[in-house]
Amino acid sequence: MNENIFTTVCPGCSIACGMYVREKDDGTYDIDWRKDAVVNAGKLCRFGVRLSANLKAAVSKVDGNEVELSDAVTAAGNAIVDGAAFVSVGNTTCEEHLALMKLAESKGAVVNTGMGAFSSIPAECHSTMGVGVPLDAIESAKKIVLFIDPYEQYPLLVRRILASKKNGATVTAVGWKAVSLADDNKTIDPANYESELDLDNDSVIIAEINPSTDPERVMVLLNLAKASGAAIMFMKPFVNAVGCDLASKKTEQKSLDQIIAEINDGSIKTLVCLDSDLIEIMPDETAVREALGKLDNLIVITSRASAITDVAKIVVATEPLYKKAGTVVNAEGRALVGSGEGTDGIDVVGAMMGQPVGMYDEVHAALLATLGIEEVDERVVPEYEKPDYAAMDANPTAEAVETALVYAGGPFFWNGMVDDNDFVEMNLDMVTASSLLKGIPARIVSDKGEVAIKYKVSDVAPGVVLSNVKLPMTTGMVTSVTVSR
Amino acid sequence: MDIGDCYVGWATDEDIRTRGASGGLVTAMLAAALEKGLVEAVVVLKKLGEFEAVPIVTSDPEEVKATAGSMHSVPIVLSRYLEYGTKVALPAKPCDARSTIEQSKRGQVDIDTTYIVGLNCGGTMHPAGTRDMLDVMYKLDPEDIKGEEIDKGKLIFETKDGEEHAIKIDELEEEGYGRRESCQYCAVNIPRMADIACGNWGVIGDLAGKGTFVEINTDKGIAILENAIDAGAVEITPADDKGKAIREKVDGAMMKVAAAADEKYLSPIEGSHLDYYMNALSDCINCGACKTVCPVCACGEGAKCTEFSSASDTYKMSLFHLVRFVHLMDSCIGCGQCTDVCPVDIPLTHIYRRFAEPMQEEFEYKPGMDMTTPPFFGVDLIEEGH
Repeated sequence: MNENIFTTVCPGCSIACGMYVREKDDGTYDIDWRKDAVVNAGKLCRFGVRLSANLKAAVSKVDGNEVELSDAVTAAGNAIVDGAAFVSVGNTTCEEHLALMKLAESKGAVVNTGMGAFSSIPAECHSTMGVGVPLDAIESAKKIVLFIDPYEQYPLLVRRILASKKNGATVTAVGWKAVSLADDNKTIDPANYESELDLDNDSVIIAEINPSTDPERVMVLLNLAKASGAAIMFMKPFVNAVGCDLASKKTEQKSLDQIIAEINDGSIKTLVCLDSDLIEIMPDETAVREALGKLDNLIVITSRASAITDVAKIVVATEPLYKKAGTVVNAEGRALVGSGEGTDGIDVVGAMMGQPVGMYDEVHAALLATLGIEEVDERVVPEYEKPDYAAMDANPTAEAVETALVYAGGPFFWNGMVDDNDFVEMNLDMVTASSLLKGIPARIVSDKGEVAIKYKVSDVAPGVVLSNVKLPMTTGMVTSVTVSR
Repeated sequence: MDIGDCYVGWATDEDIRTRGASGGLVTAMLAAALEKGLVEAVVVLKKLGEFEAVPIVTSDPEEVKATAGSMHSVPIVLSRYLEYGTKVALPAKPCDARSTIEQSKRGQVDIDTTYIVGLNCGGTMHPAGTRDMLDVMYKLDPEDIKGEEIDKGKLIFETKDGEEHAIKIDELEEEGYGRRESCQYCAVNIPRMADIACGNWGVIGDLAGKGTFVEINTDKGIAILENAIDAGAVEITPADDKGKAIREKVDGAMMKVAAAADEKYLSPIEGSHLDYYMNALSDCINCGACKTVCPVCACGEGAKCTEFSSASDTYKMSLFHLVRFVHLMDSCIGCGQCTDVCPVDIPLTHIYRRFAEPMQEEFEYKPGMDMTTPPFFGVDLIEEGH
C-alpha cells in the first residue's frame, strides 16, 4: 500500500497556490493542503478544494475514436501544416509552451497566448503588464485600489488585502459590485482615476488582464500607475499566463477574437490548442463552436477533458499538470516547480517535429535563461526589468447598455465548470423594478436567448446583472439583457 | 506486561535511535508493526523539508524508518488518512488520537484494527508562522535551520553551523508567535486515550534524551510494544516512580498554562454577539475547506451544513457555518485544522470552541477521550429501551 503524492500548484488562476495531489491506485486523486507553500500557506479557494471533482483526464482521440497516444501524435504531426495557428493561454508549463513555440516556428507561425491587450500595447509596457508585485508587498502597502472583486475572481488575495488593512492600509474598490473588505467602494470615470484615487508610491493597484480585456482599459491603468508611482499588478485567469507571456514576449500575437475572425474568414484552416479551450474561455460559446466547426483540423494537445476535446478532430492527451516536469510563473513573477517528472507533453510536441524524446532539458534551460536565473527557488522571486513607458492616449469602451449581464470571471468561469454559486446578483432597485419575488427565478433575456436563474440582492452597480457562471444566452463579457419575473 | 504499566524504551537500531526523538522508540515500534505483519499500513509524516511534511499511508518499513524525528512545524491531523478495514497504526498527538476515536464512533474507522501510538504534545506551530518567527524573533534565515526541539519551556532551533538558538515559548507567544492558538489552550498533553502513550517527559538520569517514556493504555498497546520487543527493534526498562512523578508534574504545569490561555483567548464576547459573528464570518468565500479538513466531521457530501446552505441566501454569515458550529458542539476537539486552511484567515477553531466548550462542560463530555458516546445520545438510547 503506497501512494503517489505530488507537490504541485492549483491550476485555477495565476496565483498558483501550492498544494499536494494524492493519487490513488485507480487513477483518481485527492488534494491536500501544503501549509509550507510560500504563495498560500496551504490555503485554497473553492476551486482548489474541489479540484479532483473538477478536472478530468483527457483521452487521445482521432475523429472521435479513442486511440493510442502514439497514433494521435502521428495524426497530429501529419495534420499540422504550414499556415496552422497555435494557441496556448497558459494552462500548462513554460517548458511545454516553449516546445510548442518551436513547433510553431517550424511551421512559420507563432504561439498566441490570446491576451489581445499585449499585442495592442507598446512592448515596453509588457513587463509591467505581465509581472506583478510580490504578494507580501500587498500586505505592506499603505493604499490598495481594487479593479477586481477578490472574493470571486482571486480569492487567495483576500487574506493579503485583509492583512494590509490590519497593517493600516486603506482599500478602495472600483468595480461593478461593492467589495465588503473595501473602506470605500467607488464608481469613477476613468478620466478621473488620478484625481479621485490619490495614489502614491506606497500604493498598489490590483487589476486583471484576460483574453477579453479592453486594451484601452489596461492603458488607463498603466497611465495611472505611471502618474502616481503606484505599483500595479495585473492578475491573469490562467495559472501560467505570466510564464507563457514571458516566453512569448518577442512575438507578434493575435487575440482570441482575431483568431475566431480568421477562422470565420477562412484564413485559418488548422488550429492547434495547447491546454486552451476556447469554448470555455470565450463568452459566446455558440459563436466559438460554429467557428471551430469550420476548421479542416482542430488539434488539441491537453491534459484535461473539456468541451473542446469533444469537438476536436485530434486530441493528444498528456499527463495532468501535477505530473508534469516543468515550471509555472505566477502573477508575482515567482517561478514554481512541482515534483512531477512527466514529459509526455513535451515529448509529443517533439515527436510532431520528428525530434527524439528528450527536449525537456533544452526548453527548461531556455526558460531559466529567459528568467535570468540558474535554478528555480520558489522563495526567491526573480528580478524583472520593468522599463519606463510613455503615457498613452486611452479611451476605454463605454458599456452603453441600459441593463447588462456582466461576468465577474472567477476560476470556475474560466474553466467552464458549474459552480455552487449558480445565481446572478443585482441591486434592490433592479429587483423591485423587475417585479422579482423571493424564491422565484429571474428571467434574463438577450437577443440570443433566455435563462431562468436564482438571483441574490447585492450592492451591485445600477443596471448590472452580475454573474459568476457563464450563461448560454450571452454574446460577450457584457451582454445587453432585460430582466423580468 | 499489563495495562497501566510504564516503561522507558528505545530503538535498538542505532540510526533510528540517533535520528528519532528520544531514542526512536515510536519509529521502531511502527516499523516493527509492519515488518511482523501486525498491521498492513502505517500513516506517517514524510519529511519534505525542515518545515514541511506530507502524510503518507505506507506499507514500507523503510519509509517509516525514514520519518524518524519530531516536527513541531507540521500541524497535520493524521486520522483523516485512515481507511476503514485496514489494519493500520499511526503516531498520534492527542488530537490525532481523539479524532480517530470520534471517527470510530461514526463508523469511519475500525478502532479494533487501528493501533494508536500516542505522542505527548505541548503544541504545534504553523510553518508560515514559524518562518516569520525565525526572521523576526530569532533573526535567523529559515533555510539555515537543520533541527528544532522544545526543552524546559524553550523553543530551540539548531542552525546548519551547529549553533543552538533558544527563546522561551512564553516570550514568543507574548509577541504573537510560537504555538498555534488552539494548541495554547489545549489541555490534553498526554494521549492516555491512545493505545500507548509515548513521550520524553519523565525520562531522567542516564536515559534523559535517549529514551521514551511509555504508558500502556490498552491491550493493543501491549500488542504493539511486545511485537516490537519480539522483533528485536525495541528495548525497555520499567519506569521509576520519580520519572512518573515528573511526567505528571509536567502535564499538570502544561494544563495550568492551557487553562490560562483558554481564559485569555475565549473570554466572553464584548458587545453584540451578532456583530461579532457577522464580522468574523463576513469574508467567507464558501470554499468548504473547513469541512473537508475537519477530522471529526463524517457527514460527507449530503451534510446538513451544505444541504441547508446556499450562497444565494447568505448575508454575511452563512447557514453553512451556523449549522456546523452547532453540529460540532459535541465533537470538536479544537485541533485547529479549520483555522489553518481557511483561505481568508477566519479564526474558525476559536469560534467552534466558543460553541463547544460550554456544551462539553455542561455534559461533562470531552470528545475523543474514550469510546463513550455523547451523553444525550446515551439518554435517547436508554429511553428507547435499547
